[in-house]
Amino acid sequence: MEIVQYALRKLLAGLPLIFGVTLVSFALMVYFGPDMTYQLLGKNPTPDQILEVRHQLGYDQPFLQRYLGFLREIVTFNFGESSTGEPVTTLLAKTIPVSLILILPGFILGHVVGLLLALAAAYWRGRWPDKLIMAVAVIGMSVSFLIVIIGFQIVLSSSDGLDLFPVRGWNASSLGNYLSYVTVPTLATMFVALGYDTRFYRSVIVEEMTRDHVRTARAFGLPESRILLRNILKNCLIPFITRVMFSIPQVAIGGALLIESYFGIPGIGKATYEAIVTGDQPVLKAVVSLTAILFVLVVVLNDILYRVVDPRVTLK
Amino acid sequence: MDQAPTTLDPVQGANIYANFVIVNAYDTLYSYQYLARPYLLKPNLAVDFPVVSPDGLTYTIRLKKGVRFIDDPCFAGGRGREVVAEDFIYSIKRQFDPENQPQGAWLWQGRITGLDEWKAAGSDYAQPVSGLRAVDDHTLEIRLTRPYPQLTATLAQGYSALVPREAVEKYGKGLGVRPVGSGPFRLVSYDTARVVMERNPNYRQEPVDLAAEGYNPATQKFSGVQALQGRSPPFVDRLEFNFINESSASWSSFTKGDEVQLTVLPIEQIDRVLASKRPVTLRPEYAARYHVYGGLEAGFVFTAFNMDYPEFGYNPDPERERRNKALRCAMIKGYDWEARNNSWYFGLGEYFPGIIVPASPEFDPALSRASVTRDVAGARKLLKDNGWTPDNLPTVVYGTTAGTTERLFFEQFRAWLRDIGFPQDKVVQKTYANFGDISRAWKRSQLPLVAKGWGLDYPDAENTLQLFYGPNASPGSNDANWKNPEYDRLYEESSVMQPSPERTALYHRMNQIVLDDCVAITGISRTRIYLWHKDVIAVPDREILGGFWLKYVDLAPDSPTSPATGKGG
Amino acid sequence: MNAVTLPMPAATRVRGESLWRQAARKFGRDRLGMLALGVVLAYFVVALGAWLGWWAGGWADLTGTKWEPVSSVHWFGTNIIGQDIFDRAVFSTATAFEVGLSVALAATLIGAVLGAFAGFFVGSWIDEFLLWCIGVLDAIPFYLFVAAVAYALTDNPWAMQVAMIATFWVGTGRLIRGEVIKLRGMEYVEAAHSIGVSEVAIIFRHILPNTGHILLVQASITFVSAIKAEVILSFLGLGIKDGMSWGLMIDESTKEVLAGFYNNFLAASLLMFGLVMAFNAVADALQDALDPRKVG
Repeated sequence: MEIVQYALRKLLAGLPLIFGVTLVSFALMVYFGPDMTYQLLGKNPTPDQILEVRHQLGYDQPFLQRYLGFLREIVTFNFGESSTGEPVTTLLAKTIPVSLILILPGFILGHVVGLLLALAAAYWRGRWPDKLIMAVAVIGMSVSFLIVIIGFQIVLSSSDGLDLFPVRGWNASSLGNYLSYVTVPTLATMFVALGYDTRFYRSVIVEEMTRDHVRTARAFGLPESRILLRNILKNCLIPFITRVMFSIPQVAIGGALLIESYFGIPGIGKATYEAIVTGDQPVLKAVVSLTAILFVLVVVLNDILYRVVDPRVTLK
Repeated sequence: MDQAPTTLDPVQGANIYANFVIVNAYDTLYSYQYLARPYLLKPNLAVDFPVVSPDGLTYTIRLKKGVRFIDDPCFAGGRGREVVAEDFIYSIKRQFDPENQPQGAWLWQGRITGLDEWKAAGSDYAQPVSGLRAVDDHTLEIRLTRPYPQLTATLAQGYSALVPREAVEKYGKGLGVRPVGSGPFRLVSYDTARVVMERNPNYRQEPVDLAAEGYNPATQKFSGVQALQGRSPPFVDRLEFNFINESSASWSSFTKGDEVQLTVLPIEQIDRVLASKRPVTLRPEYAARYHVYGGLEAGFVFTAFNMDYPEFGYNPDPERERRNKALRCAMIKGYDWEARNNSWYFGLGEYFPGIIVPASPEFDPALSRASVTRDVAGARKLLKDNGWTPDNLPTVVYGTTAGTTERLFFEQFRAWLRDIGFPQDKVVQKTYANFGDISRAWKRSQLPLVAKGWGLDYPDAENTLQLFYGPNASPGSNDANWKNPEYDRLYEESSVMQPSPERTALYHRMNQIVLDDCVAITGISRTRIYLWHKDVIAVPDREILGGFWLKYVDLAPDSPTSPATGKGG
Repeated sequence: MNAVTLPMPAATRVRGESLWRQAARKFGRDRLGMLALGVVLAYFVVALGAWLGWWAGGWADLTGTKWEPVSSVHWFGTNIIGQDIFDRAVFSTATAFEVGLSVALAATLIGAVLGAFAGFFVGSWIDEFLLWCIGVLDAIPFYLFVAAVAYALTDNPWAMQVAMIATFWVGTGRLIRGEVIKLRGMEYVEAAHSIGVSEVAIIFRHILPNTGHILLVQASITFVSAIKAEVILSFLGLGIKDGMSWGLMIDESTKEVLAGFYNNFLAASLLMFGLVMAFNAVADALQDALDPRKVG
C-alpha cells in the first residue's frame, strides 16, 4: 500500500515534467516545425487555396490555443488523424510493437554481454584480458553508429559480403523470418552500446571491489568468484538498474529512429522521423507526449525498484 | 520505389508514388495505351473517346456497364455496387471541397461551368453543378467555360478517379489508407515501407489486344508481352511495392533474387551493370538474369531565375535590367549540362534547349543547342562587357532540400559559377527540411533561383509552357514570376486550340521567347533504367503511363516465385 | 529531482595547484595517453593548416572526373562530381575541430555555470527550475530534440551546434551540481561566506575553479560526442550547412558503398575513427591523472 501511495505521489511530481516536455516539444516541433501546407497543395495553387489549407490544419490559430488543444488531446488520448488519414492511435498500435521486437533483443543482449565482459575484465583486473576488453571497448566507442550500420550491412547482407541476411526490410510473420530480419539491426545496436556499457559496468564493479566489506570477505578466504557474485554484484544493482532503466526511452525512440530509417522498418522511429520531416503534427504530438509519459514512468519505476532491491532506501 | 505515398485518397494523389497505387485501386475514365511511345490515350472506364460538340464546349462520355466497386462493408450488404456517372461527378466535386485539402483542383479550375461557383457557395454535395450532368447512369455530360483540349487527358489522372460516396461517408479521412474502388487490384496493407495489393477478382474481363496497346515488335518483343494477347488482366495475384529510400539497399534487395523483381537501376551501379549506354545493354552476368529498358522521363529538370529579384530580374533601373539579362545569359553559358548529365544521369539524360521536353509530341529537335553548350570564355566576356566584376556580382542563393545529392548539385553549380568569375562566397546554398518547405519558399517568391523538376501531367507541351505564363506567377506554377506580354498572348491563343501544326508553331515561338530572355537554365530529361527479372513479363514505366501498366504484368509460367506475385522496388 | 549521482568516494581531495601539477606528472608518465595526445595534436595541426589555407584549399574544386580511383594526383580518388576526396577529408578535419570545440566549450561552460548555481542554491527555486530543465531535456530523445531544433532554426548555419549544446550541457550540469553540493559545505567556502564575500563571487572564484578536473574531462567527452553526433545528423539531413565534414562524406558514401566505391566511406570513417579514438584515450588518461584516488 505504501508503495502504491509512493508511486502515485511520484507520478504527480512527474506532471511538471510532462508539462515541460510537451511545451518545449510543442514549441519546437509543432509551432516552429515544418509546415505541411505546401505539401498538401496541388501543383498550381491560388492564394485562396493556401489559406484554406492553413485553416484546415489549424495553423491560423494563436499559439496558446493550439497548445491547449494539444494538452486536451493528451488527456483524452485522442490525437486525431495523421496526414495519411489513419487515426494516430492505429498508427501507434501498428508501429510500436514492431519497434519493440526490433530493439529488445539488441537491448537485452547488449546489456547482458556488456555485464559479462565487465565481470571478466574486473575479475582479471589489470591483466591482459582486462586490457584487451577495455581496448576493444574504446574502439567500439569510437565508431559512429552509422558507420557500424553500414559496415554490418556490407559484411553480412550485401552480395559483396557474406550475403547471409536480407539487406533491409522487415517481416516478422514467422520466427525464421523474424530472426533473419532482426539479426543485423540487433548486432549493430549491440555493438554500438557495448563499449559504453562494458566500461560503465566495469567501473562500478571495480569501485565496489575496493570497499571494506569486500576486503573483509577476501580476508576470510572466500573464493573470488563467490565474492564477485554475492558481495559485489548485489551492491552494484542500483547503478545497474538506473543505467538500464534510463536507457529505455533513449533506445526506444533514438535507436529505433536510425535503425528503422536505414533498414526501412515500419516502426515508431521511422514513423516519427517521417512525421518530423513532413510536419505530420498529429503523429509528432502523440510521440512526444508518449515519450514524456514513458520517461516519467521509468523514473517512478526506477525509484520503486530501488526500494525492492535495497530496503534501506526509504520512500521519502 | 524510392518514396512512400503519403495518402491513397485520389483527392490528394499528387505524387507519382500515390498515383501508382491509386490508378490500380480505382478506375479512371481514360488511361494510356500500355506500349505506345509517345504516349497515347485510350478509353478505360469510358466506352470510347468523348463526343465533343463543334464549339468544343460540351463533352459527352459513355461509361461501361456492369462495372462494380469491390465488395466492402460500406455498401449495403457488403457487396460492391455498380459504378455510375454520378460517381464521377461526386469525385470531381470532392476536388473542390476545401475540407478534403484537394490537390487536383487546378486541372479543372475555371474550366467547368458552375464548378467554381459550387465551391464558393460552400461545397454542398446536394447542390448540382451545371457543367457536370449525369444524363443517365452510364452517360456523362461535361460542359466547359472555354475550349480545353487537354480535358480528356485530365480524366486519365488519378485525381479524377471514381470514388464511391458510401466509402467517403463511412471512412472519412480513413479513405487515405483504405481505398474502395473498381480498379484491377484491391489494397491489402499499406505502411510507409510497403504497399501490398491483391487481384480484384471481379475486375471486368477485357482481353488484351496488343495492336490497340501500341505494341512494337521491333523494340518490345524481348519483354515477352506478346504472350498477353487475348488474355484478360490483371495477371498477377499479388502486387507488392517496397518503398526504399536508399538506392543501395534497394539494389541489393533486387539482386538477391527473391525479394524485389523490378527496380530502377541506381545511378551508382551503372558502370558495374551496363555494357553499353547507347543502346542500353547489360553486362553478360546481368543480361543472363534481367531484362533492361531505358526510358526517357516525361518531364525535365531546370533552374529558373526568379525575376522578382532585382539582382537578377526586373529592376526599376532599365540599365540595370539590361545588365541583369546579360548576367542571366552568362550564367546559362557557364552551366555544364554535359557534366551534370555524366555525374547524375548515367550520361543518358537528354539535355535540350528551352522548355518543350523531348517526350512532348511538339518537341523540336532542330532547335539550336547553343543555350545548352558550355561556353566559359563567352560567359566571362559577356560579364566583362556588361560591367560585372567579382566585386559587384550579386550573391547567388541556391535553394535545395536537405540531402547529399542536392548538396552535390550545389557544389557542382558553385564550381561552374566560379569558373565564370564568381567568388566562392557569393554562391551559397540554402537548405530546406523537406519538399513542402522549399515549395513554400518558391510559392512565396523567396528564392532567387528555383531549381526544380516538372513531370508532365499529360503529353502536351502546354503543360510545361504554362510554367512561364504570367498569370500563373507565385503562388502559381510560374516560379520565375516572368511576365512577357507577347508570350502570354500566344499562350492564351494556343490554349483553346486542338492539336495542329498551327498550334505547334505557336508553341515553338513561345519556346524561343523563353530562350531569348534568358529566364531559365534549361533543361534535361532524365533517363531511368528499369531492370526486372527474366521471369517477369512487363514493359515498365513510371512516367505518363504511371501505374497503369501494372495490371499487365505477368510472370512466366516456369517462374520460381509462383504463386504469381509481383514485387517492385 | 531524479538526478542519480554515482557513489563517490569519501576520500578527501588535495585541491588547488598541487592537484594539477600532480596530474600533469601522472599524465606525462601515461605512455598511451601521451601518444593519443600526440595524435590529437597532429590532427589539430592538419585542421590549422586547412583553416589557414595551407592545404586542402581545393576541396570544392572540380579537379577530376567521376569516381576516379586512387592515383598520385588524387590520393583518395575523386567523388561523383570529380572533387578530390583527400582534400575534402583533410578539410573536414578542420570542420570536426570547429564543431567539437565550439560545442564542447559552450556546453561545458553552460553546464558548469548552471550546475554550480543549482548546487550552490540547492533546494531553492533556482535549483528546482534547473532540475526541471534537466529533466525535460532528458525526457526528450536526443535525435528528436536535435531534429526539432535544427528544423526550427532551419536558416541558421549554427542550428546543429545549438541543438547539440542545448542537450550536451545537461550531463556536465548534473555532475557539477553534485560536486558543488559537496564543496559548499567545505570550510573555506563557509569562511568566505562569513567574511561577507558575495555568493556570486564565491561561486566563480572559489567553487568553480575547484571543479576544473571534472570540466576538463567533460569537455573532452563532449568533444567526442559532438563529432559522432555530426555524422548521424548529416545522414538525417540536419548536419553542417556550409562546408564539408566527415558526416557529409559518409552520407555521400551511403549511396556508393554497395556499388563497390568505398573511397568516401573509408577516407572519412578512418580519419574520424583516428581522432575520436585518440580523443577517447586522452579523456581516459585525463580522468586517471586527475583522479586523486590513484596514486601517481
